[in-house]
Amino acid sequence: MNAESWYLLLQVGLVATAGLSLAAGAISLLLGTFIGIFRVSPVAPLRVLANGYVEFFRNIPLLICLAFIFYGLPKAGITFPIFEAGVIGISVYTAAFVAEVVRAGLQSISHGQFEAARALGLSYVQMLWLVLLPQVFRMVIPPLGTIFIALVKNTSVASAIVVPELMYQAEVIAGRYFYPDVFLIAGALYLIITLPLALLVNVVEKRLLSGQRR
Amino acid sequence: MQTNLPRPKSRFTEDRQALIGALILIAALPFLFGMIPIGGLLTLLPAAWWPALGLTDAHAEALQTAIANWKPFIEFGTWRFLALGLAMTVGVSLISILFSLPLATLAALARLSTRAYVRWPTIAGIEIVRAFPVLILIFYVFTQFSRAAETTGVGLLKTNNVTISVIVALTLYTTVVNAETIRAGILSLDKGQTEAARSLGLTYSQALRLVILPQTFRRVLPPLIAQFVTLVKDTSLGAIIGLLEIYRRGQILYQYFRNPLETLWVISIIYFVVNYLLGQAAERIERRFTGSRRATL
Repeated sequence: MNAESWYLLLQVGLVATAGLSLAAGAISLLLGTFIGIFRVSPVAPLRVLANGYVEFFRNIPLLICLAFIFYGLPKAGITFPIFEAGVIGISVYTAAFVAEVVRAGLQSISHGQFEAARALGLSYVQMLWLVLLPQVFRMVIPPLGTIFIALVKNTSVASAIVVPELMYQAEVIAGRYFYPDVFLIAGALYLIITLPLALLVNVVEKRLLSGQRR
Repeated sequence: MQTNLPRPKSRFTEDRQALIGALILIAALPFLFGMIPIGGLLTLLPAAWWPALGLTDAHAEALQTAIANWKPFIEFGTWRFLALGLAMTVGVSLISILFSLPLATLAALARLSTRAYVRWPTIAGIEIVRAFPVLILIFYVFTQFSRAAETTGVGLLKTNNVTISVIVALTLYTTVVNAETIRAGILSLDKGQTEAARSLGLTYSQALRLVILPQTFRRVLPPLIAQFVTLVKDTSLGAIIGLLEIYRRGQILYQYFRNPLETLWVISIIYFVVNYLLGQAAERIERRFTGSRRATL
Protein backbone atom coordinates (compact mmCIF):
# COMPACT_ATOMS: atom_id res chain seq x y z
CA MET A 1 0.00 0.00 0.00
CA ASN A 2 1.78 3.06 -1.17
CA ALA A 3 -0.42 6.07 -1.62
CA GLU A 4 2.31 8.08 -3.28
CA SER A 5 2.91 5.77 -6.21
CA TRP A 6 -0.85 5.56 -6.81
CA TYR A 7 -1.07 9.24 -6.88
CA LEU A 8 1.77 9.36 -9.35
CA LEU A 9 0.24 6.70 -11.60
CA LEU A 10 -3.12 8.45 -11.66
CA GLN A 11 -1.41 11.75 -12.34
CA VAL A 12 0.49 10.29 -15.28
CA GLY A 13 -2.74 8.74 -16.51
CA LEU A 14 -4.64 11.98 -16.23
CA VAL A 15 -2.00 13.83 -18.26
CA ALA A 16 -2.06 11.09 -20.92
CA THR A 17 -5.86 11.18 -21.06
CA ALA A 18 -5.81 14.94 -21.47
CA GLY A 19 -3.15 14.71 -24.19
CA LEU A 20 -5.01 11.95 -25.97
CA SER A 21 -8.27 13.90 -25.79
CA LEU A 22 -6.78 17.14 -27.05
CA ALA A 23 -4.82 15.55 -29.90
CA ALA A 24 -7.69 13.32 -31.00
CA GLY A 25 -10.13 16.19 -30.56
CA ALA A 26 -8.11 18.49 -32.82
CA ILE A 27 -7.50 15.87 -35.51
CA SER A 28 -11.08 14.62 -35.53
CA LEU A 29 -12.34 18.19 -35.75
CA LEU A 30 -10.17 18.83 -38.80
CA LEU A 31 -10.89 15.49 -40.47
CA GLY A 32 -14.58 15.62 -39.58
CA THR A 33 -14.96 19.13 -40.98
CA PHE A 34 -13.48 18.06 -44.31
CA ILE A 35 -15.68 14.98 -44.46
CA GLY A 36 -18.70 17.06 -43.50
CA ILE A 37 -17.92 19.49 -46.33
CA PHE A 38 -17.45 16.58 -48.74
CA ARG A 39 -20.85 15.25 -47.72
CA VAL A 40 -22.51 18.27 -49.30
CA SER A 41 -19.97 18.64 -52.07
CA PRO A 42 -21.21 19.03 -55.65
CA VAL A 43 -18.74 16.30 -56.67
CA ALA A 44 -20.73 13.07 -56.51
CA PRO A 45 -17.90 10.59 -55.76
CA LEU A 46 -16.68 12.71 -52.84
CA ARG A 47 -20.21 12.87 -51.51
CA VAL A 48 -20.74 9.14 -51.77
CA LEU A 49 -17.41 8.29 -50.12
CA ALA A 50 -17.88 10.83 -47.33
CA ASN A 51 -21.40 9.55 -46.64
CA GLY A 52 -20.04 6.02 -46.66
CA TYR A 53 -17.26 6.93 -44.22
CA VAL A 54 -19.76 8.29 -41.74
CA GLU A 55 -22.12 5.36 -42.16
CA PHE A 56 -19.30 2.86 -41.68
CA PHE A 57 -17.60 4.33 -38.63
CA ARG A 58 -20.89 5.13 -36.92
CA ASN A 59 -21.79 1.47 -36.98
CA ILE A 60 -18.62 -0.22 -35.75
CA PRO A 61 -17.16 -0.14 -32.23
CA LEU A 62 -14.22 2.11 -31.42
CA LEU A 63 -12.39 -0.91 -30.03
CA ILE A 64 -12.32 -2.45 -33.51
CA CYS A 65 -10.79 0.70 -35.03
CA LEU A 66 -8.11 0.75 -32.36
CA ALA A 67 -7.39 -2.97 -32.69
CA PHE A 68 -7.23 -2.66 -36.47
CA ILE A 69 -4.67 0.11 -36.23
CA PHE A 70 -2.63 -1.33 -33.37
CA TYR A 71 -2.75 -5.07 -34.04
CA GLY A 72 -3.72 -5.16 -37.72
CA LEU A 73 -1.76 -2.48 -39.55
CA PRO A 74 1.71 -3.70 -38.46
CA LYS A 75 0.90 -6.78 -40.60
CA ALA A 76 0.60 -4.42 -43.56
CA GLY A 77 3.94 -2.88 -42.65
CA ILE A 78 2.42 0.24 -41.07
CA THR A 79 3.49 0.62 -37.47
CA PHE A 80 2.55 3.44 -35.13
CA PRO A 81 3.82 4.06 -31.62
CA ILE A 82 1.20 3.23 -28.96
CA PHE A 83 0.09 6.76 -28.20
CA GLU A 84 -0.15 7.73 -31.88
CA ALA A 85 -2.13 4.59 -32.63
CA GLY A 86 -4.60 5.62 -29.93
CA VAL A 87 -4.86 9.16 -31.27
CA ILE A 88 -5.40 7.99 -34.85
CA GLY A 89 -7.97 5.35 -33.93
CA ILE A 90 -10.02 7.71 -31.80
CA SER A 91 -9.74 10.53 -34.36
CA VAL A 92 -10.84 8.39 -37.29
CA TYR A 93 -13.81 7.13 -35.27
CA THR A 94 -14.86 10.50 -33.86
CA ALA A 95 -14.47 12.28 -37.21
CA ALA A 96 -17.59 10.45 -38.42
CA PHE A 97 -19.64 12.06 -35.66
CA VAL A 98 -18.10 15.48 -36.25
CA ALA A 99 -18.86 15.16 -39.99
CA GLU A 100 -22.49 14.43 -39.20
CA VAL A 101 -22.77 17.59 -37.13
CA VAL A 102 -20.92 19.75 -39.66
CA ARG A 103 -23.10 18.50 -42.50
CA ALA A 104 -26.27 19.24 -40.55
CA GLY A 105 -24.91 22.72 -39.88
CA LEU A 106 -24.08 23.34 -43.53
CA GLN A 107 -27.49 22.14 -44.66
CA SER A 108 -29.30 24.32 -42.16
CA ILE A 109 -27.83 27.51 -43.62
CA SER A 110 -30.27 29.49 -45.70
CA HIS A 111 -29.85 29.06 -49.43
CA GLY A 112 -29.68 32.80 -49.88
CA GLN A 113 -26.24 32.73 -48.26
CA PHE A 114 -24.82 30.62 -51.09
CA GLU A 115 -26.45 32.74 -53.73
CA ALA A 116 -25.23 35.95 -52.15
CA ALA A 117 -21.70 34.59 -51.79
CA ARG A 118 -21.61 33.41 -55.37
CA ALA A 119 -23.14 36.66 -56.62
CA LEU A 120 -20.29 38.52 -54.92
CA GLY A 121 -17.91 36.50 -57.06
CA LEU A 122 -16.45 34.35 -54.30
CA SER A 123 -15.03 31.03 -55.38
CA TYR A 124 -16.42 27.83 -53.91
CA VAL A 125 -13.60 27.53 -51.39
CA GLN A 126 -13.84 31.22 -50.46
CA MET A 127 -17.57 30.83 -49.99
CA LEU A 128 -17.02 27.90 -47.65
CA TRP A 129 -14.18 29.50 -45.73
CA LEU A 130 -15.45 33.07 -45.48
CA VAL A 131 -19.21 32.74 -45.44
CA LEU A 132 -20.46 29.29 -44.54
CA LEU A 133 -18.00 27.76 -42.06
CA PRO A 134 -17.95 30.74 -39.69
CA GLN A 135 -21.71 30.48 -39.40
CA VAL A 136 -21.65 26.70 -39.15
CA PHE A 137 -19.08 26.65 -36.37
CA ARG A 138 -21.03 29.13 -34.33
CA MET A 139 -24.05 26.91 -34.65
CA VAL A 140 -22.40 23.58 -33.97
CA ILE A 141 -20.35 24.46 -30.90
CA PRO A 142 -22.84 22.80 -28.50
CA PRO A 143 -23.11 19.49 -30.37
CA LEU A 144 -19.33 19.49 -30.91
CA GLY A 145 -18.92 19.97 -27.18
CA THR A 146 -21.09 16.93 -26.57
CA ILE A 147 -18.97 14.95 -29.02
CA PHE A 148 -15.79 16.07 -27.28
CA ILE A 149 -17.15 14.96 -23.91
CA ALA A 150 -17.93 11.55 -25.40
CA LEU A 151 -14.41 11.52 -26.86
CA VAL A 152 -12.85 12.12 -23.44
CA LYS A 153 -14.81 9.18 -22.10
CA ASN A 154 -13.92 7.11 -25.15
CA THR A 155 -10.19 7.59 -24.57
CA SER A 156 -10.62 4.99 -21.83
CA VAL A 157 -11.01 2.37 -24.56
CA ALA A 158 -7.41 3.09 -25.61
CA SER A 159 -6.35 1.22 -22.47
CA ALA A 160 -7.15 -1.92 -24.47
CA ILE A 161 -4.20 -1.16 -26.73
CA VAL A 162 -2.09 -0.38 -23.66
CA VAL A 163 -2.04 3.40 -24.02
CA PRO A 164 -1.02 4.36 -20.47
CA GLU A 165 -3.95 6.69 -19.85
CA LEU A 166 -6.18 7.00 -16.81
CA MET A 167 -8.15 3.79 -17.28
CA TYR A 168 -4.98 1.81 -17.87
CA GLN A 169 -3.34 3.20 -14.74
CA ALA A 170 -6.47 2.38 -12.77
CA GLU A 171 -6.23 -1.20 -14.00
CA VAL A 172 -2.57 -1.29 -12.99
CA ILE A 173 -3.39 0.00 -9.52
CA ALA A 174 -6.34 -2.36 -9.14
CA GLY A 175 -4.18 -5.28 -10.16
CA ARG A 176 -1.01 -4.42 -8.30
CA TYR A 177 -2.56 -3.36 -4.99
CA PHE A 178 -5.80 -5.32 -5.29
CA TYR A 179 -7.80 -2.18 -4.72
CA PRO A 180 -10.79 -2.25 -7.11
CA ASP A 181 -12.30 0.94 -5.69
CA VAL A 182 -9.64 2.81 -7.65
CA PHE A 183 -12.08 2.63 -10.58
CA LEU A 184 -14.38 4.96 -8.65
CA ILE A 185 -11.50 7.38 -8.20
CA ALA A 186 -10.64 7.15 -11.89
CA GLY A 187 -14.31 7.67 -12.75
CA ALA A 188 -14.38 10.74 -10.54
CA LEU A 189 -11.33 12.06 -12.39
CA TYR A 190 -13.16 11.63 -15.70
CA LEU A 191 -16.07 13.45 -14.08
CA ILE A 192 -13.74 16.29 -13.13
CA ILE A 193 -12.76 16.67 -16.79
CA THR A 194 -16.18 16.25 -18.35
CA LEU A 195 -18.39 18.11 -15.88
CA PRO A 196 -16.87 21.57 -16.48
CA LEU A 197 -17.01 20.84 -20.21
CA ALA A 198 -20.71 19.97 -19.93
CA LEU A 199 -21.39 23.18 -18.00
CA LEU A 200 -19.44 25.16 -20.58
CA VAL A 201 -21.47 23.61 -23.39
CA ASN A 202 -24.67 24.58 -21.59
CA VAL A 203 -23.54 28.17 -21.15
CA VAL A 204 -22.44 28.48 -24.79
CA GLU A 205 -25.70 26.96 -25.95
CA LYS A 206 -27.72 29.49 -23.99
CA ARG A 207 -25.55 32.33 -25.27
CA LEU A 208 -25.99 31.24 -28.87
CA LEU A 209 -29.74 30.83 -28.46
CA SER A 210 -30.09 34.30 -26.99
CA GLY A 211 -27.89 35.61 -29.81
CA GLN A 212 -30.25 34.13 -32.38
CA ARG A 213 -33.27 35.68 -30.75
CA ARG A 214 -31.88 39.17 -31.22
CA MET B 1 -17.49 24.27 -61.64
CA GLN B 2 -20.94 23.97 -60.22
CA THR B 3 -21.99 27.09 -58.45
CA ASN B 4 -24.02 26.03 -55.45
CA LEU B 5 -23.98 23.48 -52.74
CA PRO B 6 -26.59 20.95 -53.71
CA ARG B 7 -29.81 21.16 -51.75
CA PRO B 8 -30.33 18.36 -49.27
CA LYS B 9 -31.32 15.32 -51.28
CA SER B 10 -34.24 13.21 -50.23
CA ARG B 11 -33.56 10.95 -47.28
CA PHE B 12 -33.78 7.94 -49.49
CA THR B 13 -31.09 9.07 -51.96
CA GLU B 14 -28.82 10.06 -49.11
CA ASP B 15 -29.27 6.74 -47.32
CA ARG B 16 -28.56 4.82 -50.48
CA GLN B 17 -25.48 6.93 -51.18
CA ALA B 18 -24.23 6.31 -47.67
CA LEU B 19 -24.70 2.58 -48.04
CA ILE B 20 -22.97 2.50 -51.43
CA GLY B 21 -20.10 4.61 -50.10
CA ALA B 22 -19.70 2.39 -47.05
CA LEU B 23 -19.65 -0.72 -49.24
CA ILE B 24 -17.01 0.87 -51.48
CA LEU B 25 -14.87 1.67 -48.44
CA ILE B 26 -15.29 -1.83 -47.06
CA ALA B 27 -14.36 -3.31 -50.43
CA ALA B 28 -11.33 -1.02 -50.75
CA LEU B 29 -9.81 -1.85 -47.34
CA PRO B 30 -8.39 -5.28 -48.30
CA PHE B 31 -6.62 -3.71 -51.29
CA LEU B 32 -5.39 -0.69 -49.33
CA PHE B 33 -3.78 -2.77 -46.61
CA GLY B 34 -2.47 -5.61 -48.71
CA MET B 35 -4.96 -8.21 -47.52
CA ILE B 36 -5.52 -8.87 -51.22
CA PRO B 37 -2.13 -8.13 -52.84
CA ILE B 38 -2.71 -6.87 -56.37
CA GLY B 39 0.84 -7.77 -57.40
CA GLY B 40 0.29 -11.21 -55.97
CA LEU B 41 -2.90 -11.66 -57.94
CA LEU B 42 -1.06 -10.70 -61.14
CA THR B 43 1.38 -13.58 -60.60
CA LEU B 44 -1.50 -15.83 -61.59
CA LEU B 45 -0.73 -14.64 -65.11
CA PRO B 46 1.78 -16.67 -67.18
CA ALA B 47 5.29 -16.45 -65.74
CA ALA B 48 6.61 -15.16 -69.08
CA TRP B 49 4.75 -11.88 -68.50
CA TRP B 50 6.21 -11.31 -65.02
CA PRO B 51 9.31 -9.31 -66.01
CA ALA B 52 7.21 -6.96 -68.12
CA LEU B 53 4.83 -6.34 -65.18
CA GLY B 54 7.72 -5.99 -62.73
CA LEU B 55 6.66 -9.06 -60.75
CA THR B 56 9.03 -11.18 -58.67
CA ASP B 57 8.82 -14.25 -56.51
CA ALA B 58 8.09 -11.96 -53.57
CA HIS B 59 4.76 -11.14 -55.17
CA ALA B 60 3.95 -14.80 -55.56
CA GLU B 61 4.82 -15.34 -51.91
CA ALA B 62 2.55 -12.47 -50.89
CA LEU B 63 -0.28 -14.23 -52.66
CA GLN B 64 0.41 -17.44 -50.74
CA THR B 65 0.39 -15.53 -47.43
CA ALA B 66 -2.86 -13.85 -48.37
CA ILE B 67 -4.48 -17.16 -49.22
CA ALA B 68 -3.33 -18.60 -45.89
CA ASN B 69 -4.76 -15.58 -44.07
CA TRP B 70 -8.15 -15.84 -45.73
CA LYS B 71 -8.36 -19.60 -45.50
CA PRO B 72 -10.03 -19.73 -42.05
CA PHE B 73 -13.01 -17.92 -43.54
CA ILE B 74 -13.87 -20.60 -46.02
CA GLU B 75 -14.33 -23.04 -43.17
CA PHE B 76 -17.70 -23.53 -41.54
CA GLY B 77 -16.18 -23.89 -38.07
CA THR B 78 -14.88 -20.33 -38.14
CA TRP B 79 -18.29 -18.92 -38.93
CA ARG B 80 -19.95 -21.04 -36.25
CA PHE B 81 -17.34 -19.80 -33.77
CA LEU B 82 -18.12 -16.21 -34.73
CA ALA B 83 -21.89 -16.77 -34.83
CA LEU B 84 -21.82 -17.86 -31.19
CA GLY B 85 -20.04 -14.59 -30.45
CA LEU B 86 -22.65 -12.62 -32.35
CA ALA B 87 -25.36 -14.39 -30.37
CA MET B 88 -23.59 -13.35 -27.17
CA THR B 89 -23.25 -9.76 -28.38
CA VAL B 90 -26.89 -9.45 -29.38
CA GLY B 91 -28.10 -11.42 -26.34
CA VAL B 92 -26.21 -9.31 -23.82
CA SER B 93 -27.37 -6.13 -25.58
CA LEU B 94 -31.01 -7.27 -25.65
CA ILE B 95 -31.04 -8.30 -22.01
CA SER B 96 -29.41 -5.02 -21.00
CA ILE B 97 -31.87 -2.84 -22.88
CA LEU B 98 -34.87 -4.86 -21.69
CA PHE B 99 -33.74 -4.57 -18.07
CA SER B 100 -32.99 -0.90 -18.54
CA LEU B 101 -36.45 0.10 -19.82
CA PRO B 102 -38.49 -0.29 -16.60
CA LEU B 103 -35.60 1.11 -14.56
CA ALA B 104 -35.21 4.04 -16.95
CA THR B 105 -38.94 4.79 -16.82
CA LEU B 106 -38.80 4.86 -13.02
CA ALA B 107 -35.70 7.04 -13.10
CA ALA B 108 -37.33 9.42 -15.59
CA LEU B 109 -40.42 9.72 -13.39
CA ALA B 110 -38.26 10.23 -10.30
CA ARG B 111 -36.33 12.91 -12.11
CA LEU B 112 -39.60 14.67 -13.00
CA SER B 113 -40.99 14.23 -9.51
CA THR B 114 -42.35 17.32 -7.77
CA ARG B 115 -40.70 16.17 -4.55
CA ALA B 116 -37.24 17.65 -4.29
CA TYR B 117 -35.90 14.82 -2.09
CA VAL B 118 -36.72 12.37 -4.90
CA ARG B 119 -35.70 14.59 -7.79
CA TRP B 120 -32.27 15.79 -6.73
CA PRO B 121 -30.69 12.44 -5.78
CA THR B 122 -31.98 11.07 -9.09
CA ILE B 123 -30.45 13.92 -11.04
CA ALA B 124 -27.15 13.48 -9.22
CA GLY B 125 -27.15 9.73 -9.81
CA ILE B 126 -27.96 10.08 -13.50
CA GLU B 127 -25.33 12.74 -14.09
CA ILE B 128 -22.60 10.79 -12.28
CA VAL B 129 -23.23 7.48 -14.02
CA ARG B 130 -23.53 9.23 -17.36
CA ALA B 131 -20.16 10.92 -16.88
CA PHE B 132 -18.41 7.59 -16.25
CA PRO B 133 -16.83 5.87 -19.23
CA VAL B 134 -18.62 2.57 -19.87
CA LEU B 135 -15.34 0.70 -19.56
CA ILE B 136 -14.86 2.00 -16.01
CA LEU B 137 -18.36 0.86 -15.08
CA ILE B 138 -17.66 -2.58 -16.50
CA PHE B 139 -14.37 -2.91 -14.61
CA TYR B 140 -15.85 -1.58 -11.39
CA VAL B 141 -18.84 -3.92 -11.45
CA PHE B 142 -16.59 -6.79 -12.47
CA THR B 143 -14.10 -6.32 -9.66
CA GLN B 144 -16.85 -5.81 -7.09
CA PHE B 145 -18.63 -8.95 -8.24
CA SER B 146 -15.40 -10.93 -8.20
CA ARG B 147 -14.90 -9.88 -4.62
CA ALA B 148 -18.51 -10.67 -3.79
CA ALA B 149 -18.15 -14.09 -5.39
CA GLU B 150 -15.12 -14.79 -3.18
CA THR B 151 -16.69 -13.64 0.05
CA THR B 152 -20.27 -14.85 -0.38
CA GLY B 153 -19.53 -17.89 -2.51
CA VAL B 154 -22.65 -17.43 -4.63
CA GLY B 155 -22.25 -20.03 -7.34
CA LEU B 156 -23.93 -18.05 -10.10
CA LEU B 157 -21.51 -15.16 -9.60
CA LYS B 158 -18.56 -17.51 -9.72
CA THR B 159 -19.43 -19.27 -12.95
CA ASN B 160 -20.93 -16.39 -14.91
CA ASN B 161 -19.12 -13.51 -13.31
CA VAL B 162 -18.03 -11.91 -16.56
CA THR B 163 -21.38 -12.10 -18.36
CA ILE B 164 -23.32 -10.86 -15.33
CA SER B 165 -20.89 -7.99 -14.76
CA VAL B 166 -21.14 -6.81 -18.35
CA ILE B 167 -24.94 -7.03 -18.30
CA VAL B 168 -25.17 -5.15 -15.00
CA ALA B 169 -22.75 -2.42 -16.10
CA LEU B 170 -24.37 -1.94 -19.51
CA THR B 171 -27.86 -1.99 -17.95
CA LEU B 172 -26.80 0.68 -15.50
CA TYR B 173 -25.34 2.88 -18.21
CA THR B 174 -28.23 2.35 -20.62
CA THR B 175 -30.71 3.08 -17.84
CA VAL B 176 -29.39 6.56 -17.25
CA VAL B 177 -29.18 7.35 -20.97
CA ASN B 178 -32.69 6.04 -21.61
CA ALA B 179 -34.00 7.83 -18.54
CA GLU B 180 -33.01 11.10 -20.17
CA THR B 181 -34.62 10.05 -23.45
CA ILE B 182 -37.85 9.01 -21.76
CA ARG B 183 -37.90 12.17 -19.69
CA ALA B 184 -37.58 14.23 -22.85
CA GLY B 185 -40.37 12.15 -24.38
CA ILE B 186 -42.68 12.81 -21.45
CA LEU B 187 -41.90 16.52 -21.52
CA SER B 188 -42.56 16.67 -25.26
CA LEU B 189 -46.16 15.58 -24.74
CA ASP B 190 -48.79 18.25 -24.67
CA LYS B 191 -49.63 19.24 -21.12
CA GLY B 192 -53.28 18.98 -22.09
CA GLN B 193 -52.89 15.19 -22.11
CA THR B 194 -52.21 15.04 -18.39
CA GLU B 195 -54.84 17.63 -17.63
CA ALA B 196 -57.48 15.83 -19.71
CA ALA B 197 -56.61 12.49 -18.12
CA ARG B 198 -56.77 13.92 -14.62
CA SER B 199 -60.03 15.73 -15.27
CA LEU B 200 -61.54 12.46 -16.51
CA GLY B 201 -61.02 11.24 -12.97
CA LEU B 202 -57.97 9.07 -13.59
CA THR B 203 -55.52 8.82 -10.73
CA TYR B 204 -51.91 9.89 -11.25
CA SER B 205 -50.75 6.31 -11.85
CA GLN B 206 -53.69 5.58 -14.16
CA ALA B 207 -52.99 8.70 -16.17
CA LEU B 208 -49.36 7.64 -16.48
CA ARG B 209 -50.09 4.05 -17.37
CA LEU B 210 -52.99 4.61 -19.75
CA VAL B 211 -52.31 7.99 -21.31
CA ILE B 212 -48.81 9.37 -20.84
CA LEU B 213 -46.45 6.41 -21.07
CA PRO B 214 -48.01 4.72 -24.13
CA GLN B 215 -47.64 7.94 -26.09
CA THR B 216 -44.17 8.54 -24.72
CA PHE B 217 -42.92 5.12 -25.74
CA ARG B 218 -44.26 5.53 -29.23
CA ARG B 219 -42.35 8.74 -29.50
CA VAL B 220 -39.05 7.58 -28.03
CA LEU B 221 -38.88 4.23 -29.82
CA PRO B 222 -36.48 5.52 -32.52
CA PRO B 223 -33.95 6.99 -30.06
CA LEU B 224 -34.24 3.82 -27.99
CA ILE B 225 -33.29 1.77 -31.03
CA ALA B 226 -30.41 4.17 -31.69
CA GLN B 227 -29.31 3.54 -28.12
CA PHE B 228 -29.49 -0.18 -28.86
CA VAL B 229 -26.96 0.35 -31.65
CA THR B 230 -24.66 2.07 -29.15
CA LEU B 231 -25.23 -0.83 -26.79
CA VAL B 232 -24.27 -3.41 -29.40
CA LYS B 233 -21.08 -1.44 -29.99
CA ASP B 234 -20.38 -1.07 -26.27
CA THR B 235 -20.76 -4.79 -25.69
CA SER B 236 -17.40 -5.13 -27.44
CA LEU B 237 -15.85 -3.56 -24.32
CA GLY B 238 -16.86 -6.70 -22.45
CA ALA B 239 -14.17 -8.45 -24.47
CA ILE B 240 -11.57 -6.64 -22.38
CA ILE B 241 -12.65 -8.54 -19.27
CA GLY B 242 -13.04 -11.72 -21.31
CA LEU B 243 -16.69 -11.83 -22.36
CA LEU B 244 -16.82 -14.27 -25.26
CA GLU B 245 -18.68 -11.97 -27.63
CA ILE B 246 -17.87 -11.51 -31.26
CA TYR B 247 -14.83 -9.25 -30.94
CA ARG B 248 -13.25 -11.45 -28.27
CA ARG B 249 -13.82 -14.48 -30.44
CA GLY B 250 -12.28 -12.65 -33.37
CA GLN B 251 -9.29 -11.86 -31.17
CA ILE B 252 -8.91 -15.54 -30.35
CA LEU B 253 -9.11 -16.34 -34.06
CA TYR B 254 -6.51 -13.84 -35.17
CA GLN B 255 -4.14 -14.68 -32.37
CA TYR B 256 -4.30 -18.28 -33.53
CA PHE B 257 -4.19 -17.72 -37.29
CA ARG B 258 -2.07 -14.55 -37.08
CA ASN B 259 -4.35 -12.68 -39.46
CA PRO B 260 -5.61 -9.65 -37.47
CA LEU B 261 -6.31 -7.54 -40.58
CA GLU B 262 -8.56 -10.08 -42.24
CA THR B 263 -10.36 -11.13 -39.06
CA LEU B 264 -10.99 -7.57 -37.89
CA TRP B 265 -12.22 -6.70 -41.38
CA VAL B 266 -14.75 -9.54 -41.27
CA ILE B 267 -15.86 -8.62 -37.76
CA SER B 268 -16.29 -4.96 -38.60
CA ILE B 269 -18.53 -6.00 -41.50
CA ILE B 270 -20.66 -8.11 -39.18
CA TYR B 271 -21.01 -5.16 -36.79
CA PHE B 272 -21.75 -2.88 -39.71
CA VAL B 273 -24.51 -5.10 -41.10
CA VAL B 274 -26.22 -5.59 -37.73
CA ASN B 275 -26.07 -1.92 -36.75
CA TYR B 276 -26.96 -0.66 -40.21
CA LEU B 277 -30.12 -2.79 -40.22
CA LEU B 278 -31.00 -1.56 -36.73
CA GLY B 279 -30.48 2.02 -37.84
CA GLN B 280 -32.72 1.49 -40.84
CA ALA B 281 -35.39 -0.01 -38.60
CA ALA B 282 -35.22 3.02 -36.32
CA GLU B 283 -35.58 5.35 -39.26
CA ARG B 284 -38.50 3.43 -40.72
CA ILE B 285 -40.33 3.43 -37.40
CA GLU B 286 -39.64 7.11 -36.95
CA ARG B 287 -41.08 7.83 -40.38
CA ARG B 288 -44.17 5.77 -39.72
CA PHE B 289 -44.92 7.26 -36.33
CA THR B 290 -44.21 10.83 -37.18
CA GLY B 291 -45.01 10.80 -40.89
CA SER B 292 -46.94 14.02 -41.05
CA ARG B 293 -44.69 15.99 -38.76
CA ARG B 294 -41.58 15.22 -40.77
CA ALA B 295 -43.11 17.02 -43.76
CA THR B 296 -40.86 20.02 -43.08
CA LEU B 297 -37.72 18.11 -44.05
